[in-house]
Amino acid sequence: MTPPFLSIRGIRKAYGDAVAVEAVSLDIARGEFVTFLGPSGSGKSTTLYVIAGLLQPSAGDVLLDGRSLLAVPSHRRNIGMVFQRYTLFPHLTVAENVAFPLRVRRRPEAEVQAKVKAMLELVRLEPYRDRLPAKLSGGQQQRVALARALAYDPPVLLMDEPLSALDKTLREEIQVEIRRIHRETGVTILYVTHDQEEALRLSDRIALFNHGRIEQIGSGRDLYDASQTRFAAGFIGNSNFLPGRIAASGAGRAIIVCPDGSRIEGVPLQGLEGGGGEAMLMVRPERMRLERPAPGRAGLPGVVVDRTFLGDTMHYTVRTPWNQELAVRSPLAEAGDADFGFGDAVTVAWDAEQTRLFPGG
Amino acid sequence: MLLDYDRLGALRWLLGGISLAVALFLLLPILLIVALSFGSSQWLQFPPPGWTLRWYRDLFADPGWLDAVLASLKVASIVTVLSVLLGLLAAFGLVRGRFRGREVLRALFLTPMVLPVVVLAVALYALFLRLHLNGTLAGFVIAHLVIALPFALLSIGNALERFDKAIEDAAVLCGASPWEARLRVTLPGIRLGLFAAAIFSFLASWDEVVLAIFMASPDLQTLPVRVWGALRQDLSPVIAAASALLVAFTAALMLLAALFRRSKEP
Amino acid sequence: MVMARSDTTIPIPTRTRRPMAGFGLVLPGLGLLLLFFVLPVLALLLRSVLEPQPGLGNYAEFFGSTTYLKVFLNTFTVAGLVTAVTLALGFPVAWFLAIAPRRWSALLFGIVVLSMWTNLLARTYAWMVLLQRTGLINRTLINLGIISEPLALTNNLVGVTIGMTYIMLPFMILPLHAAIRTIDPAIFQAAALCGASRGQSLRRVFLPLVAPGMAAGALMVFVMSLGYFVTPSLLGGTSNMMLAELIAQLVQSLLNWGLAGAAALVLLVVTLALYAVQIRWFGFGRTAG
Repeated sequence: MTPPFLSIRGIRKAYGDAVAVEAVSLDIARGEFVTFLGPSGSGKSTTLYVIAGLLQPSAGDVLLDGRSLLAVPSHRRNIGMVFQRYTLFPHLTVAENVAFPLRVRRRPEAEVQAKVKAMLELVRLEPYRDRLPAKLSGGQQQRVALARALAYDPPVLLMDEPLSALDKTLREEIQVEIRRIHRETGVTILYVTHDQEEALRLSDRIALFNHGRIEQIGSGRDLYDASQTRFAAGFIGNSNFLPGRIAASGAGRAIIVCPDGSRIEGVPLQGLEGGGGEAMLMVRPERMRLERPAPGRAGLPGVVVDRTFLGDTMHYTVRTPWNQELAVRSPLAEAGDADFGFGDAVTVAWDAEQTRLFPGG
Repeated sequence: MLLDYDRLGALRWLLGGISLAVALFLLLPILLIVALSFGSSQWLQFPPPGWTLRWYRDLFADPGWLDAVLASLKVASIVTVLSVLLGLLAAFGLVRGRFRGREVLRALFLTPMVLPVVVLAVALYALFLRLHLNGTLAGFVIAHLVIALPFALLSIGNALERFDKAIEDAAVLCGASPWEARLRVTLPGIRLGLFAAAIFSFLASWDEVVLAIFMASPDLQTLPVRVWGALRQDLSPVIAAASALLVAFTAALMLLAALFRRSKEP
Repeated sequence: MVMARSDTTIPIPTRTRRPMAGFGLVLPGLGLLLLFFVLPVLALLLRSVLEPQPGLGNYAEFFGSTTYLKVFLNTFTVAGLVTAVTLALGFPVAWFLAIAPRRWSALLFGIVVLSMWTNLLARTYAWMVLLQRTGLINRTLINLGIISEPLALTNNLVGVTIGMTYIMLPFMILPLHAAIRTIDPAIFQAAALCGASRGQSLRRVFLPLVAPGMAAGALMVFVMSLGYFVTPSLLGGTSNMMLAELIAQLVQSLLNWGLAGAAALVLLVVTLALYAVQIRWFGFGRTAG
């Protein structure tokens, strides 16, 4: 069994009593695009800096192709990195910036020129090769930084929130560029971001960080549909959390009782213990639907307190009997079908299979 | 309204008038000296009865004056190099370093600039008498270095603080060793500060009078010392010629600095 | 130019995280300062209490003798006079400089800076020439019939004050100008809307806002004037000698190191005290031009 390409083993980073990163382990295959996703301070950047060699871990190891990186100083790790801040060398032109890592490695001039040309073509900035960084826009600067980081064919490319300083449309454009470059070069990318949409757009796999630990690793789909923790469910996408009590269970299914007495039947237990415990239900807004109340209809009673037309969907805010507000997103009603208005009494229904269950309290 | 030029009304004339008067007050004496240096009157009559280059000829023919100019150049050049070098090292230490007492040290380094020079001059005079450094090039250089260093440190320190360290770190990640990164990336990045440090250090030494008086000997005098000695005796127009040259020199340097700064502006 | 600022700092490579990191770099400069600045000055000050006999005899002599006391008082008088004149002249100029259209302000700024950087001796010489009995000023006044005998304008208080003012004006104008530029002109529009007249705006809004800048500039000029050597020596007479020249004479002519040390200490103490006051009131900001 071949060892994984990049192996992060039990990384721990503590500053005195404050622990920034704890027990972070992850195996990454060659050519993968993995995103470290999480809120500020969750330890994702710290882990990245440990891999880059800018920080020494308190414990753990980082192995590249089976060899430990920890003993290797930063400037010899041969890892590419793009920062959130613009770090182009201000006194060098675009071409000279990209050439820098090659000149430092004393490569022959012909090779340097060829590589610079190839890299600038890769990021589509060849016409700008003689410009100084001060004359470039933010997006252009980051693309040059990318070209410079890739110039020496690093096995791994690290990116620390490189697009957060850019505005939305520009960000999306460059995200597309990054995906294209990833496809064309096949380099392994570790990408840090707090923007879940960005993570979902770019990565093969996402490592979700929270308070210094990885809560869940998986594809975007895994994290969305099969969130393993409350945090994961809440961080990715929109969610409704309903408090409840497990009334009865059997054959892997449970009956949950909500604070107003409504019963939800057929909820998958997902490894929780049955019988009397507190639980938290999570249902995605787009899985809920509103129906006209009718006797015997299963679901939660509620009152529409707000509604917004969003073009392709209708967004409702529904108040439950225990005064919690739920978000419900419905595709637009066909012409003629009933639409719900302010103050309407409704029944909120969903497929019980689509419920995720988490320990309550 | 008080800070709005167009709405000042009568106040504008008052302010403008005083400013004009002060501007003339500041400018005319300098121009006068330059004019007098070309005047043929030995008693510095103005307007001069005639024009001549005699005083400049006397100036350049006198070996005493020429030696003084050379001495000034020598001292100032050496001081500039040492000041920028020491200032660069100290700036790195004070800006990037992590040790206790950094702020105190920073204040200490700036003290020679704010304390009365005569105290330092007399103190060094006493010390150099013991060390037999009076009237030597080394003595001059050391004395001027002490007052030039704060200027260098300020310029370079400011430039270094404004330089984003992340750029240096990016160079390290690109494969440059830490010192290589500083040499190839940070130094070019702060070159404006280095240039300013060089100019200020040079001028600080070139124009310095008090220390020079005490460091000088009959064999080794800088230009200001020579002028000082001549002034104590009489007001010969040769001094006017020397002064005019000094003025021209300063103006040229200022022009150079301004052009350099203009060309580097983004 | 586009710059990204973020809260995330990129950490220093841990190799350099030693407790005294960077201190070695400071050592050469520090060594120079200690050996050729701190120690010699301390040695001089020490001599004031050791020569010719251990004790405070030199200080008794300094404060007891009318001659020396006169020098001491004269120094303060001149410094105060110069500060007052430069403030009176410099404030309008700084004000004008801060608001005038680009053409005029650039020209004025250039003249001020040129004056500041021109060699001190050249500038003092200019005034020696202008103020002498047969100098331009006296000659013009006589020709205009305003006076019949030349005025004694040099080797006295008048000469020193004029000369020192000439030197110190840029040091007052430039910081003041910077201070005025920090004031938002919109404040005066607001004051006018609140009903304030010109004079009231000046008294109640402008002057209080610019007072710290004025005080800082005045303090700087005062302190510099206290310790000045060249201009007072050339334009002043023996009857109004200032402290700096006294110290020089004590050493060069009289070889009285003890008394020189005492005078130096007095000068240093006053200077440092004034700086301490400035830091206390205005913080560390150096409004250098």
